[in-house]
Amino acid sequence: MTVVLWLTLAMLAAAVLVGLVRIATAPDPASRAVVGDLAYFSAIGVIVLLGLVNDSAAAVDAALLAAFLGILATVALARILTRGRR
Amino acid sequence: MTAVLDLALNVLIAVLLLGGAFWILTAALSMFHVRDAVSRINVFSPATGLGLPMIVVGAFLQHTRVTGFEPGVLVKTLLTVVALIIVSSVASNVLSRAAYLSGSEIDPRTAPQDLSRAPGEGEQEPHRGDR
Repeated sequence: MTVVLWLTLAMLAAAVLVGLVRIATAPDPASRAVVGDLAYFSAIGVIVLLGLVNDSAAAVDAALLAAFLGILATVALARILTRGRR
Repeated sequence: MTAVLDLALNVLIAVLLLGGAFWILTAALSMFHVRDAVSRINVFSPATGLGLPMIVVGAFLQHTRVTGFEPGVLVKTLLTVVALIIVSSVASNVLSRAAYLSGSEIDPRTAPQDLSRAPGEGEQEPHRGDR
């Protein structure tokens, strides 16, 4: 089971790395915002898996809060994209 | 019997965790293959709508297998899954609207594009070749 956990962690880390490369090479700001969102959600997965590796129940609460508050970052990015207009 | 059940649970957890990570990695790689921001938002949705809920449910099963069943953790897991699905839908809606309004390049075959049309201009026909 430990192998599965670390393999999943490696895949999520690879997703973050690929996303960062894509942010560096993205043609427009909107694409960067989307890929930044992807990095955020991959980080939630990393938190959950680190909680499993360390047998910590706090990761469940962290994932719950991150899932609920994720929309704030996205809406802020959307507002920045449109320069504050709706 | 218990050994078989434990093995089945192990396999289920592995499938959920690895499958969820697979969807997220696929979404990350797809960001290179699509051309415009709205399509990127489109290929991003499997990661948040399917991949992350799978990881969270797999984590719940693993937690239950190790430390035993706790109702509070089950409630939190269900809330997380529901929140992920709702948040990702609303967030991609807001983000794609902002992406369009900020004037980033859009595939010209995208239809309908009601945000760039005056009211009363009539319905826009979808592109014929794309159905």
